[in-house]
Amino acid sequence: MTPVIAARNLAKWYGNVLGLSDVTLEIEPGVTGLLGPNGAGKSTFLKLLTGQIKPSIGEVTILGRPVRGDASLYSRIGFCPEQDAFYEEMTGREFVTSLLRLHRFSAGEARTRAERALGTVDLRGDGDRLIKAYSRGMRQRLKFAQAIAHDPEIIILDEPLNGLDPLGKRKLIRLVREFRGEGRTIIVSSHVLPEIEALTRTIVLIHQGKIFARGDIHEIRDLIDSHPHLVSIRCPEPRSLAARFLADGHVLKVDFGADGRSLLVETNDRDEFFGRLGRLIVSDAVKVEEITSPDDNLQAVFDYLVGK
Amino acid sequence: MSPYLDSLERVFSVFWKLSRKARRTKFFFLFSQLPVAVALIIRLNSLFSGRTPATGLYLFTNIIMFFYLQMIILVLALFYGTSVCSEEVEGKTLPYLTTRPLPKSAIVLGKYGAYTAIAAAMTSFGLILSFLILNFDSLSGRAVLALPRYLGVLVFGLVSYGALFTFFGSALKRSVFFGLLFSFGWENVIQYFPGSTQRLAIAHYLKSFLPSPPAGRFAFLTFRLEPTPPGLSLLVLGLVTTACLTLAGLVFSKKEYILED
Amino acid sequence: MTIREKGYFHWEGPLRERRFAWWPITRLGLRLAFKKKGFKFLYFGSFIPALVFLVGIYISERIGEFRYMIRGSSQLLEVNPAFFKTYYTSDFLLFMMVMLMVVGGAGLVADDLRHNALQLYFSRPLEKRDYLAGKASVLVALLLSLTLLPGLAFIIFKLLFSGSFRFIADYPWILLSVAAYSAAVTAFFCLYTLLLSSLSRNRRYVSILLFAVYLVSDILFGIFYGNFKNPAFALLSLKANLQQAGAFLFRQKLPYDIPAGWSILILAAVGAAAWLVVNKRVRSVEVVK
Repeated sequence: MTPVIAARNLAKWYGNVLGLSDVTLEIEPGVTGLLGPNGAGKSTFLKLLTGQIKPSIGEVTILGRPVRGDASLYSRIGFCPEQDAFYEEMTGREFVTSLLRLHRFSAGEARTRAERALGTVDLRGDGDRLIKAYSRGMRQRLKFAQAIAHDPEIIILDEPLNGLDPLGKRKLIRLVREFRGEGRTIIVSSHVLPEIEALTRTIVLIHQGKIFARGDIHEIRDLIDSHPHLVSIRCPEPRSLAARFLADGHVLKVDFGADGRSLLVETNDRDEFFGRLGRLIVSDAVKVEEITSPDDNLQAVFDYLVGK
Repeated sequence: MSPYLDSLERVFSVFWKLSRKARRTKFFFLFSQLPVAVALIIRLNSLFSGRTPATGLYLFTNIIMFFYLQMIILVLALFYGTSVCSEEVEGKTLPYLTTRPLPKSAIVLGKYGAYTAIAAAMTSFGLILSFLILNFDSLSGRAVLALPRYLGVLVFGLVSYGALFTFFGSALKRSVFFGLLFSFGWENVIQYFPGSTQRLAIAHYLKSFLPSPPAGRFAFLTFRLEPTPPGLSLLVLGLVTTACLTLAGLVFSKKEYILED
Repeated sequence: MTIREKGYFHWEGPLRERRFAWWPITRLGLRLAFKKKGFKFLYFGSFIPALVFLVGIYISERIGEFRYMIRGSSQLLEVNPAFFKTYYTSDFLLFMMVMLMVVGGAGLVADDLRHNALQLYFSRPLEKRDYLAGKASVLVALLLSLTLLPGLAFIIFKLLFSGSFRFIADYPWILLSVAAYSAAVTAFFCLYTLLLSSLSRNRRYVSILLFAVYLVSDILFGIFYGNFKNPAFALLSLKANLQQAGAFLFRQKLPYDIPAGWSILILAAVGAAAWLVVNKRVRSVEVVK
């Protein structure tokens, strides 16, 4: 099956500065999170994806066709740029309608679609106000509206949650999940880890222009052998429990909680540790109230891979 | 309609609407009516003083047309022409256009068309008004027939200067600076050179369309003019316009515009 | 070796207020202007008339050696107040000043308005006068280097080449005239540029306006003067008013038959109006209706 988006040996230099280096990946329908710190190369990748810049090496295709030079592809792509820029003297409604007119919709259809898109982002009531009078959150929602107004099957969102309040963020996340349910392909770039985690488990981690990891967050975490796993256990007698596995070779470190009712174990073999813990609970009737993995999340993956 | 022309028309329609209500349009409209104020003052003076130093047509050709050809259309073409590409890059709105199913050259041409139309509408209104003010009591058939010619010169000027500055805007970072140097440096000087040298100025070909009135104290518009036949002038202006717009379209399609963060 | 804590340090010493709060703004403005290649070319090109006139001073002191080059009246190279007036009121110098304002001054306030940077300035211990003084000083530095510096150089080199103080004895007020005209033209162009720069957020628009207003005023004068033959129309032209003021300050025959005071009044009125508008436009808080 042809992947929706395919990049092969993609690289981009800005003069002597490396923007992106040897990126090869395929993106299937669903939500893919593009994660990385500022200056990692996320925006460069998205600009290459949307044909705004051309690659120094390699190629990128959407639906099997090269992006640059094929303007007709854009009727199937919706792009929400990062920059806070608009035609300020237009109203929100005029803005979305005008951009829809550029998609060859008739005037009537452009108006209908614009109304629908504005309704989706809760801007219908403010549609006749000038954009320069919009708040930051309204401007962000307007950008999203113009990206989805023509019902694209591929939606590319560059930092879409910037400037939104918590309610706005929740609504947008819900929308993205709805689009995923409709079988669309959505790429979301962000440097805010909880946002990506709320949207998807499939990530592409970019740092210094290179892909450090891609796939499911938890699978990536498991693959990071070089970093020990942390397991937090809440129990009435943490020291007694700790004494039982201190001799085990895979336990590297044990820290006790300040409340005296928890311990944090660092192990380089999580499976072995959980097996041992399970046997202790059953055989020795050890009381355990709670077991969590504090580092089985995106922040930890990010920190481990980026080397913080 | 072919898809390309359809794209052109859509871009034209969007930017025609946008620029019609833009604040700067109101300013440039007032600016382009300055010659109307001049015509009014001259006319009122001649009415009240009873003296008519020259015919309305003479004053119109040598004062009003001079003002339009050597100032107004240059400023308008420079601003609107360079804005076609530069304002999208400076305003960071370029991605909204380049991620639509439109050929990139259609974006440039459509915007150029819209802005040139706006500028032409503003200046034509002023030109017609000035013409009527200066000639209302001597509207002979000859005078009225000359008006379309003057309008044509104005429109050709906006079209060709606009095309040149559209190319500047697409290719050069300091497009306004070079545009000013060209308009008020090169054009202002070269058009008065004798022989073939004056044919290196767009203004020469525009002035070649004008009727040549008798020399007088206002004859600086046609001063030292060795006119080129109108057919050839039209061809040259057409070639300049086509070449500049083609280059602008090519540059815009191929160039990577890095938007400042 | 001790390990220093890389934490946040509190300054234990006294807090000293900067005497010239506007200086960092000026320094930055000048640095940004000189970063552009085109500006450097334009700026140094603006000194061509000064160099030519300086050579003229040298030749005037060695007139015998150059007589073969100068046919006709050697009064052309007489260094007197008319010489200074010719330099200061030349079309080329005024044109170059306008171009310098276009390239170096158009974005001074316009760029700050565009990027909403005024809030950044005024969230520092900076008054509006410091901000405006800083921006104005960029233009003042550029303009004075084209007016006051060459004028002083002419006087110094005249004294050096002639080997006597006769020039000063003949025209004791010349230094004052040089200073006064330099101050007047600098203040005018400075306020004119700040006015137009504060009217728009678009630097390109301001660049064109700077040029267009200057040129249109002159064209209107030309048209009305040609038609009505009334020298009072010279008051419409910014260039003509500057030339009138120059002739007056150097005690030369006025180019137009109108009192110089009117021209100076027009220039002052434009300056005052500019100051009022700039003060209104530069605000730390923006009201969006």
